[in-house]
Amino acid sequence: MKQIPIRFQLNGVQRSMEVAPNDTLLEVLRERLGIKSPKTGCDRGDCGTCTVFLDGRTVRSCLVLAAEADGCEITTLEGISQNPTPLQREFAKHNSFQCGFCAPGVVLSATELLEKNKQPTREEIQEAIGGNLCRCTGYTPIIDAIAGLTDESVCPTLQTKVVGHSVERIDGWEKITGAARFADDLEFGPGLLHACIVESPHAHARIVRIDTRKASKLPGVVKVVTGKDFPFKFGLYMQDRYIFAQDRVRFVGEQVAAVIACDPKTAQRAAALVEVEYEPLAPVFDPVQALEKSAPVLHPDLGGYDHVPWFFPKPKTNIAHWRKIRKGDTAKGFEQADVILEDTYRVPRYAHCAIEPHAMIGLLDAAGRLTMWTASQSPFTQRHLFAQALAPLGLSHKDVRVITPYVGGGFGGKAGVSCEILAAALATAVKGQPVKVMWSRAQEFYNTYQRQGVVAKVKLGVKKDGAITALEHTLWWDAGAYVEYGANVVNAVGLSATGPYRVDNVKIDSVCVYTNLPPGGPYRGFGYSEFFFGLESEITRAAQRIGMDPVAFRRKNAIREGDNLPYGAHMNPNGLLEAIDRAAAAIGWGQAEKATAPHKAIGKSLVLFWKAPAMPPNAGSSAFLKFNEDASLNILISGMEIGQGLLTAMAQIASEILTVPVSKIRVETPDTDRNPYEWQTVASHVTWGCGNAVQKAALDARQQIFDLIERALHIKKDDLYLEEEKVKCRTQPGWELALKDFVIGGIEVPDHTFRGGPIMGRGMFMPEFSSAMSDPETGQGGHPNVHYTTGAGGIVIEVDTQTGKTKVLKAALAVDVGKAINPDLIKGQITGGLLQGLATVLYEDMRFDENGRLLNASFADYKIPTALDIPAEVIPLIVESPQPDGPFGARGMGEHTMIPAAAMVANAIEDATGVRLNSMPLTAEKLALALKETP
Amino acid sequence: MPITCEFEYHKPKGLPQAIAILRRHGKSASVLAGGTDLLVWLKEGLLSPAALVDVKGIRELHKLELKAGALLVGACVTFTELLESRIVREKLPLLWECSHTVASVGVRNRATLVGNICSAVPCLDGAPALLDYDAVVLVRGPKGRRQFSTADWFVGPHKTALRNGELVLGVKIPLPKKKCGACYVKLGRYSGEDLAQVGVGILALSGGEYRVAFCAVGPVPARATKIERLLHGKRLTDALVREAQDLLPEEIQPITDIRASKEYRMHMAKIMLERGLWAAVARLAGEAAPAYGESLI
Repeated sequence: MKQIPIRFQLNGVQRSMEVAPNDTLLEVLRERLGIKSPKTGCDRGDCGTCTVFLDGRTVRSCLVLAAEADGCEITTLEGISQNPTPLQREFAKHNSFQCGFCAPGVVLSATELLEKNKQPTREEIQEAIGGNLCRCTGYTPIIDAIAGLTDESVCPTLQTKVVGHSVERIDGWEKITGAARFADDLEFGPGLLHACIVESPHAHARIVRIDTRKASKLPGVVKVVTGKDFPFKFGLYMQDRYIFAQDRVRFVGEQVAAVIACDPKTAQRAAALVEVEYEPLAPVFDPVQALEKSAPVLHPDLGGYDHVPWFFPKPKTNIAHWRKIRKGDTAKGFEQADVILEDTYRVPRYAHCAIEPHAMIGLLDAAGRLTMWTASQSPFTQRHLFAQALAPLGLSHKDVRVITPYVGGGFGGKAGVSCEILAAALATAVKGQPVKVMWSRAQEFYNTYQRQGVVAKVKLGVKKDGAITALEHTLWWDAGAYVEYGANVVNAVGLSATGPYRVDNVKIDSVCVYTNLPPGGPYRGFGYSEFFFGLESEITRAAQRIGMDPVAFRRKNAIREGDNLPYGAHMNPNGLLEAIDRAAAAIGWGQAEKATAPHKAIGKSLVLFWKAPAMPPNAGSSAFLKFNEDASLNILISGMEIGQGLLTAMAQIASEILTVPVSKIRVETPDTDRNPYEWQTVASHVTWGCGNAVQKAALDARQQIFDLIERALHIKKDDLYLEEEKVKCRTQPGWELALKDFVIGGIEVPDHTFRGGPIMGRGMFMPEFSSAMSDPETGQGGHPNVHYTTGAGGIVIEVDTQTGKTKVLKAALAVDVGKAINPDLIKGQITGGLLQGLATVLYEDMRFDENGRLLNASFADYKIPTALDIPAEVIPLIVESPQPDGPFGARGMGEHTMIPAAAMVANAIEDATGVRLNSMPLTAEKLALALKETP
Repeated sequence: MPITCEFEYHKPKGLPQAIAILRRHGKSASVLAGGTDLLVWLKEGLLSPAALVDVKGIRELHKLELKAGALLVGACVTFTELLESRIVREKLPLLWECSHTVASVGVRNRATLVGNICSAVPCLDGAPALLDYDAVVLVRGPKGRRQFSTADWFVGPHKTALRNGELVLGVKIPLPKKKCGACYVKLGRYSGEDLAQVGVGILALSGGEYRVAFCAVGPVPARATKIERLLHGKRLTDALVREAQDLLPEEIQPITDIRASKEYRMHMAKIMLERGLWAAVARLAGEAAPAYGESLI
């Protein structure tokens, strides 16, 4: 192909180069000019992360050919950040961004707006950034910053100086200026190879033959590998996956072979030349049908799979795990009931849609060391699984190193190991050269973890006075082709599917079923969003049937501290009742509101939620904390910054104890060689677990400081305290010693020798009271969950009864966080999580055809909310009922914010229209057609 | 997702060169204006042309000018330029409102109205306005100039009257001679950027003339002539609207796809026709009308 010479201005500098006609501007900016702020999010113009200015207007650089830029002026965020704008300062002040992957595009779109319109209205702002998808923030903090709004909420008087305050994110400025680097932004030089994966077009088939000869012959192809090269299994909780399909494929899109080539275009062309002959087998897609005798058994070897001891697979069936809870006597409970309700609810599959696709680069160097760079929530778990899977090649844990830069949104989709295993394996095939696997947006949809679908039957018995007498909750999970992670979602739900209610007679069956759809896995909420749709719908129905106010009904049955949990242990301290009252007040519960038009109707509802971290009983966290010469701090942890603000929260915890200001603390994303262990950043547990480790590390450093002072200066350590980066003494008010004077070089004593040395704190945390083992038939006897975070969500909606469209007027979410380490970040989680939840109930869902092929593997047809789709008002409510074993009393809350959304909307729709919908999503179409049928 | 097909890239400065290149390559050439559809097709392998002809170097295709009572919209004029044009805003509000619903700012800054009608997807937002305004598509090819009414332009899904070797120069939109009120109502799955599942563009002209065009509910966007005839010369009443709604099954042929079912499309077409008619009439009268750009559904 003839190269084309082009000349253009890039961020004020004249450049000239030659490009291929089929190079996009985005490719050239990123790969040849080192301009990394425009990101590859969807590569088809839907997401806006690749936004740049082209001759003064924002464009999608993925939809512009580099050749078209000839003679143009291009400005990227790098250019703007040379002289940061007041707008960028506003974004920092408002803690507007979380993962920051969408930030460059948003900053540019907002800049374009403000150039034309100095004082835009909120609607104009929404319109201007409407094409920039953000999955984290719920947009409100972004809109507030552009509007220049100041936060009017006043911090209550606090005992703490840093913890509990909304300090600015320590990673904010990096993200707002485009400096933050994500996995795909890392440079590996001209030796970098690129892989393209050959995928199964069948949902279930036997692989008869693979012919790689044509592909291998294409110039630029380095190697073609198939399953035969890697007959290795892997998996987090159950080893039921192979790196590449061996003799059988089990979902459309499953990896069958890979081509490694010198450039992505060649890899893609060659992948199309790999010939695979399949013998199609009968597939099964529905979890209930998969249990029938006639259904094909997808894993005939299930009985031989390794798994954690708390899973109970049923060999020769499609049941990968069956969590049973039996408490009390449900038969007796239903006998006592005045009313028994029984309904079936359906929840489809959902996609995480982090704006950053998975990017993974592997390098096995000549000396046999494997380094992996991944977009991951789980560097240490990845190291463990890579080492485990590749052990037959002679790799051990010490030989594997995982480096994880910033993550552009996780939501569970980047937990554990999914497609990352490919880069690890491929690196071993091309020793000495780094190889990159970049997941496309379509692959993000069809070959990463998906949120599992479920069919749930809820049977509830209640007395006329509102007491719940019995609950039977049966859930059949469509867990997909491989359940190595997803089975634990099923397990977690089995333990907790009563919701935060006191129920003496409980029978729960949570059944993990193999199907020929893509592997299920963790997704923010970890199964709770799914079961709460049915449970909380049923709770409202029950209250209505006995003529009791649904909020009063919930209040009456709400679980209290010390109550028996479904598996027999006791409930932790919680502020659930306060959450109910505050959420109810915020939505004006009990007050009738008038719709804005005759064809519209207002509906309100309030639902409860809870969730416990789902993790192995011995999931550990650890932290190092080291002082620098100026008494600034580096904190080393391996909890991941995935947008939630972990780095900032950890800095605040250390700052509170050591009195070093947050601005002098650096916390960075980990490298498993350098940073201490963290199990994974999942389960909403890192503020708690990693926070405890950091707190202990800070206390350890403080103790070392006090010990040293006593030893060197003979001041009793019990009298010492820290204040404003100095050691002070309660008994000697005039005495003080600045940290910077001794934390590295020690303290000089009269003989001019020194005492001490570099101060370095160490902290580790693991719950020592947790146990996953219990009676398989009843689930009684263990202590699988460390604690529950509880809360309540309330909503006010307006339904257009003709179109079926639901508008959220107000959404209030009260969550008991134990202690808000940073209220701004909590509010960010609430605003973002709520919107993510509302999207699952109002319009998102994954659609498969009758052959198991995903029909909407793009943002064009899998609609995630834009800035134009936010509730008119979001009211975040922070409840603080301290968690006794949490850092400053904190417990996690990141996932919880999306859990109540589905039932909240379903109940409000029913309140507004009288129509009860049992099958998610509750789209405008479904509602309008249901309303048409309703007399 | 790289573009793996290989092609020549041409950026002619004049029309004759452009036509010559198009002629040379015949059907293996593709015209590139905004590229917001074209690049996606190239990436997805739906199209693998031997040559791309970038027409943005041809000055006369950037024209947006009023001439003899008609607005000429050159092939390279973007939706943003239309939205920023005072003539469009004041004289062709239906075109303005349609343009406003196209994708989002970053796409509208690049995407062109002419590109939109050349893509000829059934759901194109630009079509109802062009149909209602009786716009003319101006084409030049090796054998000279041709022109089409918008109605004749759309031949089928993704198919237009354009022949190989021809280039669309622009569209000519006659400004209505009478006072008018307009309304474009678009059904999406949510408020953000979406492809229309139903689109209806309505023009109410003083003297009781109505023009109604639909997109996304048939193989090609089209005027609803039976409804127009029914409404002609009449004052809008609830009963009249109901009669118009009753004609819809004769006017549109919605299908079921991943975006919406045919039942919902038909249901919504009725509601949108009703709300759109009332809004257009109110805007014509200038009384208590919703602002242009405000969503009615």
